[in-house]
Amino acid sequence: MNRKGLAVIAAAVGAGLLSSAAIAQEITNKDKQSVIGNVNIAPVTQDKLNTADKSTKDFLLTNGNYAQTRFYPGKQISRDNVKNLRVAWIFQTDVKESLETSPIVVDGVMYVTTSFSHVYALDAKTGKQLWHYAHKMGPITVYCCGPNNRGVQVLNDRVYLATLDSKLMALNAKTGEVVWSTNIADPELGYSETMAPTVVNDKVLIGTNGGEYGIRGFMRAYDAKTGKLVWNFDTTPENSVGVWATKDATGRDMHRDIQAEKDMLAKIGDPYAKLGGGVWQNPAVDLATKRIYFVVGNPSPDLDGSSRPGDNLYTDSLVALDLDTGKYVCHFQYIAHDVWDLDAVSPPVLLNVKGKDGKVIPGVIHAGKTGHIYVHDRKDCSLIRFSEAMVPQENMWTLPTKDGARMLPGANGGVEWSPIATDPAQELAYAINLHQPMTYHVQSSPYPNGKLWLGGAFKVIPGEQQSGNITAVNYNTGKIKWQVKTPEPMIGGILATAGGLVFTGEGNGKFAAYNSSNGKELWSFHAGAGVNAPPSSYMIGKKQYIVVGAGGNTQLDYKRGNNIIAFTLD
Amino acid sequence: MLGKLMTCAAVVLMLASAARAETIEEKAQVCAGCHGADGKPIDKTIPVLWGQTAGYIYMQLRDFKSAARKSEIMEPLVSEFQRDDMLALAEYFSQKPWPDLGQPRAPKDVAAKALAASASIGCPACHLDRFQGDGTVPRLAGQGRDYLAKTIDDFRTRARANNPGMSDLMQAASPEDLTALADYLAGL
Repeated sequence: MNRKGLAVIAAAVGAGLLSSAAIAQEITNKDKQSVIGNVNIAPVTQDKLNTADKSTKDFLLTNGNYAQTRFYPGKQISRDNVKNLRVAWIFQTDVKESLETSPIVVDGVMYVTTSFSHVYALDAKTGKQLWHYAHKMGPITVYCCGPNNRGVQVLNDRVYLATLDSKLMALNAKTGEVVWSTNIADPELGYSETMAPTVVNDKVLIGTNGGEYGIRGFMRAYDAKTGKLVWNFDTTPENSVGVWATKDATGRDMHRDIQAEKDMLAKIGDPYAKLGGGVWQNPAVDLATKRIYFVVGNPSPDLDGSSRPGDNLYTDSLVALDLDTGKYVCHFQYIAHDVWDLDAVSPPVLLNVKGKDGKVIPGVIHAGKTGHIYVHDRKDCSLIRFSEAMVPQENMWTLPTKDGARMLPGANGGVEWSPIATDPAQELAYAINLHQPMTYHVQSSPYPNGKLWLGGAFKVIPGEQQSGNITAVNYNTGKIKWQVKTPEPMIGGILATAGGLVFTGEGNGKFAAYNSSNGKELWSFHAGAGVNAPPSSYMIGKKQYIVVGAGGNTQLDYKRGNNIIAFTLD
Repeated sequence: MLGKLMTCAAVVLMLASAARAETIEEKAQVCAGCHGADGKPIDKTIPVLWGQTAGYIYMQLRDFKSAARKSEIMEPLVSEFQRDDMLALAEYFSQKPWPDLGQPRAPKDVAAKALAASASIGCPACHLDRFQGDGTVPRLAGQGRDYLAKTIDDFRTRARANNPGMSDLMQAASPEDLTALADYLAGL
């Protein structure tokens, strides 16, 4: 994932001084939980979660369902009437900082999170606050790319949250009270949490941030009832060397000096212990085979490969594990020995896809920071095809230099952590992209114990035009079906609906609906702060709602706000 | 400046013997000798601690103790500190109000230059909106101008070696832009 975020837009900065008192409201010295209204939800059973993809009433998982399709099956809001979409309510959180939350909706109750690991339960019909959990943050937080939180999940009567100071927590879904809390890892070593947990079969699945900090990444399962560790999978195995791959997933030469790496390996041994490999986003769960599929981020340090010889497995990879045991099933590495931080962050999606022979098979797709959408065989993780590039690519793979080497995409992508959406009937995947020309600078230094360890710097090239786009890709052909250019790089997420629409937002505050077949803009709204979070949809009674967070983004320095905005038809 | 620093060093030496066994408040008295009893440092090259983020203060104390960050004054002062002492001191200072040093707001052209540089190397990605800092990342807004300039320079030359990532970023920007950045941040 990308660290320090090489921002482009500094418009929000300098608008005035935020008082220390304002900050104090966001980070509390003790857990604070306030209950205002009643939460009357039926327990969220595993059966209900298993069929989340068919529910128009609820939006139960971060990306809609265990396959992470971000396809909402309701169609009340359609191409014909979306022009009549109006604000139903706006909820203002207490935290005006980067907002990446994926709202989930359970039985008319919405759960959203904010930066600094706050959780709110809201009445999904009115936006009225029901309860608020303000996490007692430990004094030491070490994180890259903003104090974000991307959401929670509910199983039975508990809400599961992972916090910036690297704790996993279960809260009472009706009151926000802490049921249990478990330390995941030591923040002082560079660990933090911003992802939403995925809860399945009484296991809470969680990865870790820290790929910019010399950590050893992992995916873990904790017992949903007790918070005890069930299994751990290290994303950097003790033999991380791999096959000395010289080409990336698309066949391009990565200009590795294999002999120099082998010499270094002989000298220092396998570098797995501080090799990074963060997992930033939710795993997809294949309920039939009881496997999970997730992507692993960059090796540490990002730009300097000299101290980490080998392919740096399983960084920059799609990985599949057995859900029950955490045992390795298969992997596919996109970039071996990455020195550009063009890693794998956007959550993978399980779909049926056409194999190489044209037969439909269970597949898994991932949108990379390289700007390609990769299509895999779910059986063995092998690559079936990759899409046309969604963003300009130049000078790949030019190695970073001390004075800076220009290469596109810039280190934020392509597709950053933003989840993609899909529409299986149209065989389309929808991705939001960044185009940020950058120079890549390398500089060797040892890990500075809990401080950013990039091995150099990424620098946005002043004066070069930046932009973004929304791209629809046919995942069975790899061809781009349509593309809408946006004035600024895009980060946040996207939702597709059975109403023939996709919804997504921009850093300038625009939130819009597009015809999912041709990209034609059909409706838009200006939120006043960056819309850099994934939208969700749900129904209350006979009314469909669209909801999205508008709070800007730290990584790209988009204008901050504190709004959760729900829309419905007049 | 030298005179003030020597005074500061003398105060520290005088109180150093007391730095070993007393309460956090008493330990903080030693700090006040240089960092200011009212939160305003006695010299412009000494940083503001009042209202600084607790995680950042802790990490610096930790690094002075290990000598990852060099300082003839700070290293001996913290040599006896345990982790809990450092965390408690960090918490103590973080709860104090940030002092107003009365530094002038940067002119528009300087601010524009500073913000362009900040955007290019991505300062707000860690120091957050309006440079308020959080956790182990320091607040920069309103910090002493001369301390900011010295710190930037020390990162550029790697004289300050406990955060090589900052050195890399400072080296990716021009000295002129960084001077503007120090002026801008001090005036926030």
